[in-house]
Amino acid sequence: MPPVELIVNGLVQSCIYMTMAFGMVLVFSILGILNWTHGQFYMLGAFVVYYAVTAAGIPFPLSILIAGAVIGGLGMLVEKYVIERVNVPGLGLLYVTGATIALNFFFEGGAGMVFGLDDKGLYSALPGVLELGSFNITYQKIAVIAFTLIVMITMYVVLNFTKIGLAIRAAAQEPSAASLYGIKVGRLSIIVMGIGCALAGMAGAIIAPVYMVNPFIGALPLMMALLAIIIGGIGSLTGAIVGGLILGFFTSIVPYYLGYISEIALFVTVIVILLVRPQGLFGVAIRR
Amino acid sequence: MKLGNYKKLLPKIVVGLVIALIFIIPVFTTSLVTLSKFIVIGFWAIAAMGFMLIMRTGQISLGQAAFMGLGGYTSAVLMIKLGWPFWPGFLLAGIVAGVVALAVGVVAVRAGPIAFSIITLALAEIMRILAVEWEPVTNGIKGLVVTPPFPIYLDYYFILILVTITALVFWQIDRGRLGSLFRVIAVNPTLAESEGIPLTKYKVIAFTIAAVFTGFAGSFYAHFLGVMSPYMFGLWQSIQALMMGIVGGISSLVAGPIIGSVILNTLNDLLSRLPIYSIKPTLFGAIVLLVLLFLPKGTGLIDLWRMFWNKVFREKSVTVASPN
Amino acid sequence: MSLLELKGVTKFFGKLAAVDDIDLDVQKGEVLGICGPNGSGKTTLINVISGYYKPNRGAIYLEGKKISGLRPDQVAARGIARTFQANMCFHRATVLQNMFVGSFLQYKTNEWQAFFETKTYKERRKTIVAKVMDILELLNLARDANVPAVDLPHGHQRIFGIAMALMTNPSLLLLDEPTTGMNHGEATLVVEQIRKINERGITVILIEHNMKVLLDLATRAVVLNFGTKIAEGKPREVMKKQDVIAAYLGTETV
Repeated sequence: MPPVELIVNGLVQSCIYMTMAFGMVLVFSILGILNWTHGQFYMLGAFVVYYAVTAAGIPFPLSILIAGAVIGGLGMLVEKYVIERVNVPGLGLLYVTGATIALNFFFEGGAGMVFGLDDKGLYSALPGVLELGSFNITYQKIAVIAFTLIVMITMYVVLNFTKIGLAIRAAAQEPSAASLYGIKVGRLSIIVMGIGCALAGMAGAIIAPVYMVNPFIGALPLMMALLAIIIGGIGSLTGAIVGGLILGFFTSIVPYYLGYISEIALFVTVIVILLVRPQGLFGVAIRR
Repeated sequence: MKLGNYKKLLPKIVVGLVIALIFIIPVFTTSLVTLSKFIVIGFWAIAAMGFMLIMRTGQISLGQAAFMGLGGYTSAVLMIKLGWPFWPGFLLAGIVAGVVALAVGVVAVRAGPIAFSIITLALAEIMRILAVEWEPVTNGIKGLVVTPPFPIYLDYYFILILVTITALVFWQIDRGRLGSLFRVIAVNPTLAESEGIPLTKYKVIAFTIAAVFTGFAGSFYAHFLGVMSPYMFGLWQSIQALMMGIVGGISSLVAGPIIGSVILNTLNDLLSRLPIYSIKPTLFGAIVLLVLLFLPKGTGLIDLWRMFWNKVFREKSVTVASPN
Repeated sequence: MSLLELKGVTKFFGKLAAVDDIDLDVQKGEVLGICGPNGSGKTTLINVISGYYKPNRGAIYLEGKKISGLRPDQVAARGIARTFQANMCFHRATVLQNMFVGSFLQYKTNEWQAFFETKTYKERRKTIVAKVMDILELLNLARDANVPAVDLPHGHQRIFGIAMALMTNPSLLLLDEPTTGMNHGEATLVVEQIRKINERGITVILIEHNMKVLLDLATRAVVLNFGTKIAEGKPREVMKKQDVIAAYLGTETV
């Protein structure tokens, strides 16, 4: 039985990866493309919160919402002015991949130029530790878990019980039919992109105090979200959540036993899963 | 008639002269710095061409650095740990890269183009981790010191010949049946399948061929630099191959990547003199974005070359419609 | 002589059976018409036969050998070709170039011969050129040979789809609504062309909404509704049956 800290950390990681993967799948289900800049939205969310709290003195919870709004807005701009321009029928996937990868480095480098490369710490947010018997858990980590739960529940409610959620699900399943029913798929794409990126921004925001804030923190969550998505199945929101859970715990617990081989073990596991089920655990078979 | 002909021939003559010049550069300068610049451009041209070959089949490989590293480490390890001479190590480097591409490719391709990109990304990461951690073989972050097999000007001709061979092979692929198959698989896979074309097979073939040539290039590069370390082939290197390909022009398999390599490597050189660390990814990212956003779909800088020549020689003689 | 057999073929999408327990026995040389209201599973059936979908239940046999579960390219290699409801082509290529790509299965050379363009490869290419010209003649597309396929007028595009399917040298041709969007004159032309194709010995399965075309061409007809067979037999008789007319209430008949 691994140390409780590792399990807690695993849970915290899962929350972040899950949220990131969920946001990416949401965007994918409407737009049909993967946004490779997603990790940088996470990073930028962390920076927004850092400056909101330290420079503007805005309380942490409000800063998170601001981060969500700002990054969501940024995401919508990216959708409208980059992705839509490049996503031609046919080879659009290739162009969008190229564009979002280029954008990824543009943001990472840009953040480096604007904010500097040094680590910034955001310790003052939610100080304190909850003591539970033999181990401690910081309030910050509890906040991450709580935040993720709230987000997931909100998403569930929105997707299943609101009009816009219905529109999203319709457009995800069958875009052409949805537009026949009066759903403006183009506008929906922008909104969904906004939601997905806001999720990434808030994920970066809420975990900013736990780790460092620097321009490079976006790379790992992106990689993990991507792996979560292929394990879980590319179009599947459930798959994103399950994949995030698996990855969070895997990357927290397995290195304890296997050291660096755990990364290779992860890669091999992913390959094996894809060998047996190319569409991922919850994915729909690739054939039409 | 002769007058009309020369306008069409001129760009080709210019290109021919440039190529001839490239072949005799070492005669003019034996400066290590200058020749090294050309050698680096040549190496990246091959990597970029490999990336574009894979893109021809409608897939984006984010892990070409894996094959550069595989090639480099294979020949370095064989030379240092087993005492092999250069040539067998070099050949094996390409073969090892190809075998790995084949094995991973079969799984990655079947999982769909998005999963393919993710897996190639992960593959490159794994290679890097292996290079860092597998100390007994790779010497970890200390790297392996390999003696360059040739003096610098022979290095220059070596890479020049390698680039030429790669370019010729890829050019023949592009104009031949394989090229058509790759293109139709990318453009309309459903129709291609109904005509009996096996999609996975050809996507894997493209991936493997690209990996083999990239492996050769990686092996050479390691020996040229004199050291092989995990930092040489990371994520940024994979992405550079992508960027050079796109900037050169998506629709071009040979000339585009070469131009892309020339431009981005020259830029790289200039930017290295500046003290701002982060300017490279920012500027490169911006350039790729601009190319994708503002140049017509599928074109890149190679097409600017053609447009330039068309503008310089404004052909007033618009083709008269043929009688039938 | 039985060419294609379907036994209990079922295909689910979620909980909906688009094709439900279909048995079919296609005789060599016949023209089998398949009709039914929209959504009755006709195109899904074609997709299952040609390998784009794998049946959830049941099996498909070509000349006694099981083909259900094979990939589309494998099914094509076994001699079953199909057209699509939408106009499909390889963009940016001319009709001729499209057809050359479509001749993939005819080369029977390995990759090395193709890459180095050996003598064998060049010989094969000559036979393929002849075949391409033959098909273009048959389908009256010869004049369009150098036109980008995507620029063809709609009627020609439908026929072009048939040409592409014929490039695989099939023994069975599945046509998915070849006359959609065609006027009376164009449709009559296509009927002639399909008849000629059938006369060459190619068995045809024809999905059609246009009843006149169906009655002209089909030797036998099958009616689908909600994924099941509701009638089978000689085309004229099938048309008269009560439940067939009821299924079509609201849609045009002859």
